[in-house]
Amino acid sequence: MHLIRERAAEFGVRGVDPAALWLDLPAVVARKDRIVQGIIDGIYGWVNPSPNVTLIRGRAEFTSPVDLRVDGRTITARQSIIATGARTADIEIPGLVETGYLTNYEALQLQRVPSSLIVIGAGYVGVEFAQMFGRFGTKVTLLSRSSRIMKHEEPELSERLAGMLIAEGIDVRVGAEGIQAERAGTGKRVMAAIGGQVQAFQAEEILFAGGRVPRVDGLRLEEAGVKIDPEGVHVSDQLRTTAPNIWSLGDVNGGAMFTHRATYDGPLAALNAVKGAGRTVDYRAVPRAVFTEPALASVGLTERQALAAGHEVKTGVSYFADSGRAKAIGQTEGLIKLVADAVTGELLGGHILSAHADLLIHQVVTAMHGRGTAESIYRAIHIHPTLSEMVKEAAKKLR
Amino acid sequence: MTVYDLAVIGGGQGGLPAAALAARLGATVALIEMHEVGGT
Repeated sequence: MHLIRERAAEFGVRGVDPAALWLDLPAVVARKDRIVQGIIDGIYGWVNPSPNVTLIRGRAEFTSPVDLRVDGRTITARQSIIATGARTADIEIPGLVETGYLTNYEALQLQRVPSSLIVIGAGYVGVEFAQMFGRFGTKVTLLSRSSRIMKHEEPELSERLAGMLIAEGIDVRVGAEGIQAERAGTGKRVMAAIGGQVQAFQAEEILFAGGRVPRVDGLRLEEAGVKIDPEGVHVSDQLRTTAPNIWSLGDVNGGAMFTHRATYDGPLAALNAVKGAGRTVDYRAVPRAVFTEPALASVGLTERQALAAGHEVKTGVSYFADSGRAKAIGQTEGLIKLVADAVTGELLGGHILSAHADLLIHQVVTAMHGRGTAESIYRAIHIHPTLSEMVKEAAKKLR
Repeated sequence: MTVYDLAVIGGGQGGLPAAALAARLGATVALIEMHEVGGT
């Protein structure tokens, strides 16, 4: 809808009345629910019907390293795998619980587009939802406690993305300290100190996107001898916990909390638990993406992280303003930055801000997985005209 | 009381492939999930 409303004329599409366009949010949510249910049904098919798998509904707690209680029922298991994921972080913002707020779960079930929204937190969820609701027509304020949005990403890219969000009309505020919330008539108010000055923001709704934490509550891991670190369950590189017969995978271990990491961990943990395979995880190249438009996708180290890790660093940068395909689709704002070890040439990281960045990043992922240099990307023939050519271009600059 | 080769606690997108592979390798698996299988 955004593209039709904002850019139809530029693409020569006539007859569009931007003022007549409106979003049927219940229809959007219903479509999303159908797709999600289809995906869930599909992955449930991995275990159902398997005669070896018994599905037990309930909340599990350990009573010993081999005994579990599930809602009063006792089961014994020679080996266990903890795969409980993560939950929304505890709310530490004064007044927010009393004022009321949405998390990403509730925000995806709304039946009406809110007129205004304050998003607290500018990580993956905060940034994606800020843009989504902004494009739905909501007046959005994005509050970041860090000095920039997407603080773990390459600054050149995250700052450019922030500029694009601002250009779309999102009120982006960084360095927000001492955030508090209160009710204000029928709406809600958030106060924050920005640059030493307390400012108040008013909106119909608040979205809390302040991060997720490992879901270990109630598992009574101490009964099983499983140690928990501040970031999550403590595991070896074989995903074994401090209890020799208990394994742990995915978000509950902390680190890169992504579905694709959990899906990677799953079979490896199973092989080690059931067959004693001794497989080790390789997290050098866990890609990540924020699904904004343009998307920001990355893998490995930023330039600063590579320097901090002791590498002599070289970088290669290409700009989509130089891409014919980017011009054709009208999305020329982004860039690619590749980071490599200057001595060995090994690729250490890749960072892409562009349309379909979530696709383009996989060239870099594949190269990094094989401990490759930029050479293989640069020498390989790329289809013209594609956005992928710009990955080759950045690799060429890295030589 | 039932004894399983493996208990998988959590039927999300990490637990499910773990349970599926363990079952295929011949292990008896208890898959424990408090909400909906499939994860969030």
